[in-house]
Amino acid sequence: MARPRDGREGTTVGLWQDFADKPIKNNTPFVVVLGLCPTLAVSTSVKNGVSMAAAATAVLVCSNVLISLIRRFIPNQIRIACYIVVIAGFVTMVEIVMKALAPDAINRALGIFIPLIVVNCIILGRAEAFASSHGPLSSLLDGLGIGLGYLLSMVLISGIREVVAAGMLWGYRLTPVVVAGRTIVPEYQPIAVLGMAPGAFILLGLLFGLFAWMSDRRREAVRRTGVAAAPQTAKDFPKPAKAAAQGGGAPGAGPAPAAPGA
Amino acid sequence: MTELIATYAGAAVIALGALAVFFGLVLAIADRYFQVQMDPRQAQIEEILPRANCGSCGYGGCAAYAEALAQGRAAGNQCSPGGPAVVKKIAAILGIEVARFEPKVAVVRCQGSRDRAADRFRYVGERDCRAAAATQYGQKGCQFGCLGLGTCVRACPFDAMVADEASGLPRVLEERCTACGTCAAVCPKNIIEVLPKDRYVHVLCRSLDPGRVVRGLCQVGCIACKACEKACPVEGGAIHVRANLAAVDMATCISCGKCVRVCPVGCIGDFRKGRKEAAMRETVAAGAPAGDAADPAA
Amino acid sequence: MEVGYLELAIGSILISNFVLAKFLGLCPFFGVTRRISDSIGMGLAVTFVMTLASAITALVYRHVLLPTTDQHTNLLGLVGLPVPEGGYVLVLKTTSYILVIAGLVQFVEMVLRKNVPALYRAMGIYLPLITTNCAVFGVALLNTEAWRDPSKGLPVHLAAFNGFCGGVGFLLAMLLMSGIRERLAEERVPKALRGLPIAFLSAGLMALAFLGFSKLFGIAV
Repeated sequence: MARPRDGREGTTVGLWQDFADKPIKNNTPFVVVLGLCPTLAVSTSVKNGVSMAAAATAVLVCSNVLISLIRRFIPNQIRIACYIVVIAGFVTMVEIVMKALAPDAINRALGIFIPLIVVNCIILGRAEAFASSHGPLSSLLDGLGIGLGYLLSMVLISGIREVVAAGMLWGYRLTPVVVAGRTIVPEYQPIAVLGMAPGAFILLGLLFGLFAWMSDRRREAVRRTGVAAAPQTAKDFPKPAKAAAQGGGAPGAGPAPAAPGA
Repeated sequence: MTELIATYAGAAVIALGALAVFFGLVLAIADRYFQVQMDPRQAQIEEILPRANCGSCGYGGCAAYAEALAQGRAAGNQCSPGGPAVVKKIAAILGIEVARFEPKVAVVRCQGSRDRAADRFRYVGERDCRAAAATQYGQKGCQFGCLGLGTCVRACPFDAMVADEASGLPRVLEERCTACGTCAAVCPKNIIEVLPKDRYVHVLCRSLDPGRVVRGLCQVGCIACKACEKACPVEGGAIHVRANLAAVDMATCISCGKCVRVCPVGCIGDFRKGRKEAAMRETVAAGAPAGDAADPAA
Repeated sequence: MEVGYLELAIGSILISNFVLAKFLGLCPFFGVTRRISDSIGMGLAVTFVMTLASAITALVYRHVLLPTTDQHTNLLGLVGLPVPEGGYVLVLKTTSYILVIAGLVQFVEMVLRKNVPALYRAMGIYLPLITTNCAVFGVALLNTEAWRDPSKGLPVHLAAFNGFCGGVGFLLAMLLMSGIRERLAEERVPKALRGLPIAFLSAGLMALAFLGFSKLFGIAV
């Protein structure tokens, strides 16, 4: 039983927009607060973080495309269950591939968080919000965009954690820096407790606070005038009155909608 | 090799299929056993309600309102955030006639800005009007006036209030206001009231102090001089001064604006111009000829 | 050391608390803990689902996924289907576990809707969201594979108990967090830190406190 076309088909503003909007505007987890569990758990080193982001992106792209291809055939009531089954299939594939090809250290570090990609809200969320109402190519680009955003966040978080808690970056010791026999940067005594759970929470809290502060500053400049200087999003425009208005009235309105200005 | 994969793959599919069928059966039996009789119209109504759960309909959330509607206990025009569109849909689902939806908006009835009404003391406690009001009626000289700490602004679920930095008063963005009444509920001085949008004249003061006291506390406070009462052209008067405060009678006021002009302190506000402009913008944006029966611009 | 009820209880509730040490179940941990009443309801529902899910997935693991050994038989082999040496663990584990959990949550939804409609309505969208709760799926995985003997996993009764303890630990963490957040709501928090950031910082301090439980009674989990 196909889902009827009820206007839920999304319009593609442009294939480039499908990709370019996602890494920053829909950034997980900083803008869209989803997928916190793996983000905190595996960001102990950049290698692990990047592997996790790569695995999640692979699943996201594949499931987006497949769900987009079969979206017309999924009955509406059971669509979430169908999405989960599709995602589980791809996660199993990624699991097997990683067990076979990825280095043992990475598999051990990522542990149960590879199969846990199934319940990662990012993937289910994109399937529901985008893949179910857009074409396969757009969904592919959407998956790539979100994946790129996730990769950037993971690199940021795990980079900071690895440097502060282990004094390394990508497995290479950063300190001490010795040039011509003279120690320029002394040995850094890493703070191990920050590599564990408390450090992860605190770092993420500070990062969230930093981004909130940055977006607050931008919003203050807009709010100070009391009215947005220029329309920001669709919801700043007043909703158009029902077109089926009683006839008559002043003919001076004209057919073209004018921008509601100051 | 390929038969190996084929047999195991086939068995895997059968295994998973069997598991799925088993759980499906369990759920199907459970569904039969745990049937809940619900009016299908209730589910339909729940779908079209705005899900804001603001409570302005008087019921405990959108689900409760939908239930009451389906059982015929509630009137169809009580959802403020939904507006006329939702009222029409409810009427269609229930197959009944619903009285026309009267648009309302929140009105802040105080003009005692920082430069016009002085504080008695400097308040350094909780930045919350309710907490400040608990501290000797708040820091403002006039004990009925707006304390300007922004509790209403933060409480608004629709981002329809802004804190005006210069004056220290909240400002209602009328296009976004859905008249849910949250701001009115949190204001400790009951300064905000949800009033019909087609009534343009309101007294923007709540002070019950005698005129000579008000003069010393606020430049724009009502001094109960009764000039508005005398100027009102309506038979029987649409504005009366009671307990040292002028108040407009919504039922009889024709929004002519005469009282606004004669008030010596300027404490009566006329919202006509702003609302007509907003309505004009709306109709122009829609490209429709101006003049909709539900529109205050009519 | 022999794994018994006490080790599982202390391990899953205190030493490796599912939220504060294992990073599982973070979305509801930060989403639902604005009010103590919400977190109690959510915590109890999750505990219930975790216990049942652990039990059922442990059964599925032993009798559908693992190959037949002298302790237990593979039901598929019993029916006559071919079972490879490693069993179906690698291929079917994820999908079958998620099937179990999704079905279980649907079942709990139905029961609640009929018997406790007030709680059902109060939980609203959070009830179906338990399906995607990392803690539920995570405990199922931990019980069966990440345990000491991955070819066996925990026996069914211990798996169910571990699920229960994990849920209790989750409930404990949620209660503590919502208590802190309700107090924080009345404090002057710097604007940029309000809401989620200060919640994360509080969680970090809580995690630091829970670190003190490591090696408690010599239990190494």
